[in-house]
Amino acid sequence: MGSSNRKKKEKKKDFAKAKLKVGREKAKAANFTDTSFKSKSISINQKSIIAEGVDQVEQFKQNLSLAVAAKSDHARRDALAYLVNQLSARPPNNPVGIAGLLTKLLPLLSDGSPPVRTGLLKLFRVFPPAEVGPHVEKILMYIRGGMTHLSTDVRSDTLNVMEWLLEVAGDDVVSCPGGWLKTLNSFSCMLGWNPSVGSALVSKGWTSASKTTTIGMGSKNGREVQARQIEVLAKFLQVGFRQETPAPFSPMAYWDNIYQLPARANPFAYLNLFGVPRDEDNEMYPDRISRQRIFEAKWENSMVAGMTGAKKEGGLVGRAASGMEKVLNDEVNGSKSTQA
Amino acid sequence: MVKRKVAALEKVDADLVSLQYKIRRDPKSYAQEFYDQWLSYDAQRHIFVSSPSTASTDDVKKFHDLVDIVAHVADLYPDLTAPFPDHLKDLLNQHHAVLHSELREKVVGSLCLLRRKEVIDSTSLLTTLFPILISTPSKTLRSLLYTKIISDLRESNSKATNHRLNRTIQTVLHNLVTSDRTSTKGMWATRITRELWRRQIWTDAKPCDVMKEACLSDNEKVVAGGVRFFLGGDKEREEMEDDSSDDEGIDIKRVKHQGGINKKSKKRMKQFEKAVDKVKRQERKKSAPHPLNFSALHLIHDPQGFAELLFQKHLQNTKCKFTLDNKLLILQLVTRLVGLHKLTIISLYSWFVRFLTPKQAQVTSFLGSLAQATHNLVPPDALEPLVVKIANEFVSEASASEVAAAGINGIREIAIRQPLCMSETLLQDLVLYQRSKDKGVVMAAKGLQSLYREVYPELLQKKYRGKDATMGLRSGEVKLRKFGEEDTGGIEGIELLEQWKQEQREKKLAEQALIEAEGGEVKKIDDDEDGFNSDEWEVGSDDSDESDNGWINVSDDEEDGEPAKKRPKQTQMTDEDKANAIAEANRISVLATTSILTPADLAKLQELVREANIDKAMGGRTSKRKKELIARHIDEGVTAEDIELPATIGKKSTKEEREALAREGKPGRDEHKSTQAIRKSKKEAEGKSSTNKEKARKKNFMMTLGKARAKNKRSLIDTKASLKAHVAKAKQGGRRRNGVA
Repeated sequence: MGSSNRKKKEKKKDFAKAKLKVGREKAKAANFTDTSFKSKSISINQKSIIAEGVDQVEQFKQNLSLAVAAKSDHARRDALAYLVNQLSARPPNNPVGIAGLLTKLLPLLSDGSPPVRTGLLKLFRVFPPAEVGPHVEKILMYIRGGMTHLSTDVRSDTLNVMEWLLEVAGDDVVSCPGGWLKTLNSFSCMLGWNPSVGSALVSKGWTSASKTTTIGMGSKNGREVQARQIEVLAKFLQVGFRQETPAPFSPMAYWDNIYQLPARANPFAYLNLFGVPRDEDNEMYPDRISRQRIFEAKWENSMVAGMTGAKKEGGLVGRAASGMEKVLNDEVNGSKSTQA
Repeated sequence: MVKRKVAALEKVDADLVSLQYKIRRDPKSYAQEFYDQWLSYDAQRHIFVSSPSTASTDDVKKFHDLVDIVAHVADLYPDLTAPFPDHLKDLLNQHHAVLHSELREKVVGSLCLLRRKEVIDSTSLLTTLFPILISTPSKTLRSLLYTKIISDLRESNSKATNHRLNRTIQTVLHNLVTSDRTSTKGMWATRITRELWRRQIWTDAKPCDVMKEACLSDNEKVVAGGVRFFLGGDKEREEMEDDSSDDEGIDIKRVKHQGGINKKSKKRMKQFEKAVDKVKRQERKKSAPHPLNFSALHLIHDPQGFAELLFQKHLQNTKCKFTLDNKLLILQLVTRLVGLHKLTIISLYSWFVRFLTPKQAQVTSFLGSLAQATHNLVPPDALEPLVVKIANEFVSEASASEVAAAGINGIREIAIRQPLCMSETLLQDLVLYQRSKDKGVVMAAKGLQSLYREVYPELLQKKYRGKDATMGLRSGEVKLRKFGEEDTGGIEGIELLEQWKQEQREKKLAEQALIEAEGGEVKKIDDDEDGFNSDEWEVGSDDSDESDNGWINVSDDEEDGEPAKKRPKQTQMTDEDKANAIAEANRISVLATTSILTPADLAKLQELVREANIDKAMGGRTSKRKKELIARHIDEGVTAEDIELPATIGKKSTKEEREALAREGKPGRDEHKSTQAIRKSKKEAEGKSSTNKEKARKKNFMMTLGKARAKNKRSLIDTKASLKAHVAKAKQGGRRRNGVA
């Protein structure tokens, strides 16, 4: 009867038992919430469940990709440790090659977690030195990126890598394209001994603090950091100004030059046959004389000024600065001796 | 020991955003920090450029962020970042195909940002983006670039028209279309031009020239784009304008009121100021003179050559393999041009012949185009075979009624524009179709008959001529126009203006001399009445004024408007009339030749013409044909719908059609339902109750039964008492005491 009847029926419906039928889905409850979703990719915390007994090449590759792409810091660190193990084994096991490793791992230089960065340095240290030489230019690019990174921790860790690279392939570092001037630029920027920015500001009638104001610089370990930076800079300059020992005479040199395959990669790099034209910063400075000349023209004043300032500060920084002064003095003497 | 908390910036994902904020606040103090980032940008760029396709996602992300920060503060360090725009341009030019999509987007966005900060100029931005737009295979990038290009062009034209930039871009587009006529690249030229035309940023002849070239391209898509622009671009522009004038939703009163009630804050203050500013701007816009925009069809340079080329290249050429739809579009454009500019392309008419059969697909479009291509300077010899063909193919007792109706209507549309295209026997035959059983055919035939009653009654049989035409013929008033005969020209509505000026002068005189005021008033009243008391010459002049109201230049005979009215004078005063007409002509030329019309004059003239137009349309004295021509603007062409119209008369529409028709004016309804039902369901959804009336209507019948029975059983006394009580209560204002204090 009318609406009341209908309402009664509706009420009854709530208490009626739902009939289940074979082959038909159960009816959804009234308060059912759909929690399914669509996604283009699924990331899983534990990357792989395969453990031992897989072939070594696969495992190496897996760890390599883990080291780069794993979400958790620990996984990355562990993967790096595995790689260190493999490389330091006798004979070293490296199915990918140094070049492959470097392309994958270099972005980790500015990785977020400190253990990963130290792990990376450890890995670098077990690389065979001879194989690093051809990749110096590429490594330097990342180092320069790391040296100007916002975070001080990354900067100082990058300096360690720089130190390693200077030890392993010092000559390549200072003579590769962009290796001399651009790296000097990054160093000065790190230390705040920068002529270009300062002059740009002074010209507008402003004075500026020469030091970077990045947080961490003024803190307690800021001094240590700065001392370390000066130290590494001194090492860099030392390598750059090192006296070259002339190659010993060999009677076959002439013929080797003509008929032998060159021993180094890209022996005609200085001709820059296929690259874009280089500007002053990107230019190669293959020998000591040219490095000295450009250093004196562009950097000597600001470097010396910065150094004397640092020396006056005394302490750790002062000590590092006097170390650097020694290097510079040697350079002056060395150049005099060569000119003489 | 408690674990040391790491400061935000010491964490590695150090905050470029906050650095950016600081730099913006105090660029001088943060120069060193910026320089750091600049160096690291440079390093990252080198890393990236050394192998753009294999760069790791980390690298890409870092580079992305650095590009972002440098772009945002580049204007603060102009000498440091001088090479930055070039970097971005090179990156985009060389690697746009392999760049990661987000990075690509960022680079494009940064370039536009630099443009907004005026680090680079529009020309260099557009010349960078444009080649990529044409060449990139990525759809997303194309759409991004397209929007950026359009928005930049809009922006740089927003304050004042940037002629130099426009010229450059138009030349680029022109070259794009003309350089390679077979490629689809011209599409972009048409798209950009059309968009800018729609937004009224480009309104001159140059974009029309670009589109003209597009129409003459070899690529079907480009041609279709160009043709569609000419056929629909102006309408689009008008609609856009209407839309933009519609959305003035700011109610200043309301905003003010809210400002008074809500808590006062700087933000609200700003909002209020903005609203006021906007309203003011809109008002200024309203009062600004309407920009005179010519339609694209009028701006075409050398329409004759263009129409001929278009016809020869795409229609007459048998090797052209465009689809029928596109060919029809081209045909529409050609015929519109022919009709609008009165061009002469004789071969066009003979070309039409083979399409005029009922079996031809979309034949009504062809008929419409043919009608469009007809004007009074087309030789009747060229049209006659076509008309005969239409009559033979479409109109016979055996053909379907829709076909016959469409055929007759097509013939009528042609005859409106060139009445001489018809032979006597054919017309008489066609007119006889008004005895058909189908309503559509009847209407079409009657339309043809009434047309010829006005323009050429001699062709009709005597019994079909009608009263007006017969009398007009006898008095020599209805005259056939010979081929090529034109109206004598003049300024539209100038006599109205003159009359109005005369009135104004009289009013002034009347004000000066109070006594004469009465006389002036009387005269004016006479004017308004259109008087028949023809004793003053003013009335006479008024009369002829009405008769040749020059606002419809399209048509022929001046006296056409009101043969009925002239009747009483016709027999006696023809001489006088002629004299008046001559005097009138002199007078017009006097005003037009002795004074220079000021803009105010022109505005008034326009207003007067409009008024007179409305008067005439309301009065019903104008012929149907003239009304039709008034209604249809000359710029609008004849479409297939016009041709099909009579065939739809008397046909029952389906339910879907009716529903669609009903829903047309009511957007935003998801169901086709009565307003009542919608209101009711809305109320129910809101949880509101029904009215008392509704409750009463819904009340269960059995419940009402008892009361009704009891009412019937009452004694007379009871009934009387209750009625009395009812009346008394009503006097008091009912139970609610309405109207009682």
